[in-house]
Amino acid sequence: MWHFQTRRHLRLGGAFVLLAAVACGSVPRGGGREAVRLPELLGDGDPARRASQRLLIEGLEADARGDSPRAKGRYERAVQVDPMNPYAYLVFARHEIDRRRPAQAQAFLDQARALFDTGGGVPPNVEAHLLGLQGASAALQGQRSRAAPDLRQAADLSPAVWGDAYLAAQELL
Amino acid sequence: MASGGGKKTARKKAARKKPARKKASASRAPRRGTRRRRWGFRPRHLRLIARVLAALAFVFGVVSGRWLLGLDQTVRERFEGRRFRVASRVLSAPTILYPGFDAGRFGLRGQLLRRGYREQPGARGTLLEEGRFRWSANRVRVHLRAFEHPSRAEPARDIVMRLGGGVIEEVRELPRGREVGAVLLEPERVGSFYGGHREQRDLVSLDEVPPHLIDAVLAVEDRRFESHVGIDPRRIAGALVANLRAGGIAQGGSTLTQQLVKNFFLTPERTLQRKATEAVMALLVESRYDKRAILETYLNEIYLGRRGSTAIHGVGEASYFLFGKRAADLTVAEAALVAAIIQSPNRLSPHRHPDEATERRALVLQLMNEQGRIDDETLAAATASPLGVAEIAVEPNDARYFLDLLRRQLPEVYDGDVLEGEGLRIYSTLDLRLQTAAADALRGGLEELERDFPALRSEDPAKQLQGCLLAMRPQTGEVLALVGGRDYGLSQFDRCTQARRQTGSVFKPFVYAAALDAAGGPPQITLASFLDDTPLEVATATGVWRPENFNKKFHGRVPVREAIEKSMNVAAARLGQQVGVDRVVSMAQKLGITSTLPRVPSLALGTAELSPLEVARAYATLANGGRRPWPHAFEDVVDPKAGTLDRRELRFDRAIGAGTAYLTTSLLTGVVDRGTGRRVRAMGMRGPIAGKTGTTDENRDLWFVGFTPELVTVVWVGFDQPRSLTVSSSRAAIPIWVNFVREVAGQQIRGAFPRPSEVSTFDIDPRSGALAAASCPRRHREYFLAGTEPSDICTQRGVRRADDPVAPRRRGLFDWLGFR
Repeated sequence: MWHFQTRRHLRLGGAFVLLAAVACGSVPRGGGREAVRLPELLGDGDPARRASQRLLIEGLEADARGDSPRAKGRYERAVQVDPMNPYAYLVFARHEIDRRRPAQAQAFLDQARALFDTGGGVPPNVEAHLLGLQGASAALQGQRSRAAPDLRQAADLSPAVWGDAYLAAQELL
Repeated sequence: MASGGGKKTARKKAARKKPARKKASASRAPRRGTRRRRWGFRPRHLRLIARVLAALAFVFGVVSGRWLLGLDQTVRERFEGRRFRVASRVLSAPTILYPGFDAGRFGLRGQLLRRGYREQPGARGTLLEEGRFRWSANRVRVHLRAFEHPSRAEPARDIVMRLGGGVIEEVRELPRGREVGAVLLEPERVGSFYGGHREQRDLVSLDEVPPHLIDAVLAVEDRRFESHVGIDPRRIAGALVANLRAGGIAQGGSTLTQQLVKNFFLTPERTLQRKATEAVMALLVESRYDKRAILETYLNEIYLGRRGSTAIHGVGEASYFLFGKRAADLTVAEAALVAAIIQSPNRLSPHRHPDEATERRALVLQLMNEQGRIDDETLAAATASPLGVAEIAVEPNDARYFLDLLRRQLPEVYDGDVLEGEGLRIYSTLDLRLQTAAADALRGGLEELERDFPALRSEDPAKQLQGCLLAMRPQTGEVLALVGGRDYGLSQFDRCTQARRQTGSVFKPFVYAAALDAAGGPPQITLASFLDDTPLEVATATGVWRPENFNKKFHGRVPVREAIEKSMNVAAARLGQQVGVDRVVSMAQKLGITSTLPRVPSLALGTAELSPLEVARAYATLANGGRRPWPHAFEDVVDPKAGTLDRRELRFDRAIGAGTAYLTTSLLTGVVDRGTGRRVRAMGMRGPIAGKTGTTDENRDLWFVGFTPELVTVVWVGFDQPRSLTVSSSRAAIPIWVNFVREVAGQQIRGAFPRPSEVSTFDIDPRSGALAAASCPRRHREYFLAGTEPSDICTQRGVRRADDPVAPRRRGLFDWLGFR
């Protein structure tokens, strides 16, 4: 009996050690993970995806200049070229947060997350943006209790970008 | 004549005799000191005559004054009111060109020519004007035109595209050679909303008209325009002399003002009265308005040719028509050609009569030179240059159903008078490449059916086999292509949006979706479930309903997938009863069905009458992960003066769970892979495709609704007066669908249907529906909403029920850790 319990405990202990080692590797240390910037992705994907990314970058540049209509036009063209580009919906969500339209932002975030899922999951350097935008959307709707954990987690993952609880257009460039 | 001459002589004699008679009469002898009156009128006669003349003059004055006032009012009303009715114009969606884009399939060269781009030969590196292109085997240089739009404007861009096998490999912008990711080719004109007059006009202000165009027009049509007062006696006299010499009408004597008056107010008949009125009105116009206003109005009014059945008016529209560019960008030679054709646009059409047009242009240039408006060098260069006109692009016939859809939607916001007269620009969602492909596929498919099944053919146009094809982008709801019938000229009835037809089995996915949905409680079925395809009787208000399968057979207990892949009616009907008709209706409405649905058992088999447009929307919701798009046919409505009036935003609403949408889509993928839709695969299509066939009683309506991750396309085939087609929907509708999708997206569809995180995959035993352990002899991967996977387990020893305590279990990780 004692022998069996010892073996069981040893197995449990080994499993916990293994899990802890994995967890330590994945928990961001100190300054957090660098969040994605779209120009880094220009070489990825098929031609339609790359063209779509370029259009998103042009839109972000317009947003950074304060030219919201032009930015939106560019994002819409990006969706037309590649309707399955999750970054297009992420960028759209950011744009809608800026325009104080949280319901629309949430719809775009849902779309983005579903499309990331189909591509093998949300990349680690994107998770901060999804969480942060989700939190910002909840905050705009007055749902502070929902917003706070997401914004906190986003800040933990990417303090340089989400430390101020806001994602500016140029922070995606 | 002799007798007439005799009478005259007699009268002369009598007149000479009169003074003698007067001398004989003592009472009539003139008093001394008075003058003799020659004619014999007394003062009172003169006074009478004067009074009569005065009265006549007064009456004449009143009448002519009233006439003049009337003319003056006419002039003022026209000049100070809305001078022109400008038809609102519908534009297609712009085309986005990027590396990887198949320019060959798109027909880039033809598309450039349709938009008025002209080829400009020249060595590499030389200047290329805006609106021109140079084409070689593997390189295209295009100076893209600016695209004016209040919020989506594009600047002009000089770009070079390297091609490989018709595919764009690289895009660079000159002069720096910077690589760019995507450029926009401006929209094409699709159609216009005309009123009673089919006129096209692009209004320009005088500031937008280059000086040499004004010079050209004045040089040939009215050289003294700046100095005359509306009529030019010298010109009239000169025309008279020229016409006498020519023995006919060789030259007009009208000024620009008179021409404007004639076009604006009067009929073209050549009568003295009309000419007199024209002259008076010209004087009135000149007295009221300055030369700039008159000239600007003239330049926007003048008739300059035809495009199909549409008249081209004004230099703005003519510039696009002839040269594919704005009036402001015309060269001297081009301006001279525009001025040259004013005299007779049809006879001098540069498209049909280039020699005459060239000769007339040379005359205009010569006159410009003689009048000091251009120098000798410019004259020589312009005269020597080719006409260089763009090809005529008639508005595409194929888009007329789409235009009608817009015509029905827009008046909800803009009334007919505004649409037909205010020159709005409507930026539509129509992709002309897809539209052409859709029209070809539908027409070709129907003709092929008639060839293969002659009983379907009819000589009576009203009884011909008909169809509809509608394509929509599921993420945005944009209607990309719409063909509402096989020939708009024979029938304008739009079978995609105006017709309501029974959908048959196309409705079944809504029943399955309702059964798979976990909203409000656990789902009725999973993809591992089995349905009962055995005889069913349902009591209804009209009697007992006994649904049957297509082959009149019953299949017993069948897996869910097999039931829908083979489109089993009884299984679906029983499932509909199990779910409840209210839930089925609710699901259909959530997906996007707006027609009233009868709450009857047969609803599950598609007895409701729906339009292809709403069916497309419902399937788009499935393709878009449960997010329901808003179908729309236009993006923006712009008033050239006031700016953007209406802008459609990208919008979709969460309609059903993403997991439910995915599971339903997975079922429909099976329909295409193995089921009634497998002809799609047999015709060579690869990649993520889902769909459902639909056939109503007696094969009166044949449907195929198929979708990829980026495109939903609905095809319907049938007769307007319902009758049997004796053909299956697989045979009739699927080939049309495949021919269309293959043309626009290729044989290999890109991407994948996005699987949401709430859907997990498990291996199951297809015979029992239990989870397949490693030792299970059969396995098949299946999808489940989280927590709905089976609890029974299949092993080599059989199926172990979840609550069976005796049967051995497979040791898993938790077994190893000792948790169980």
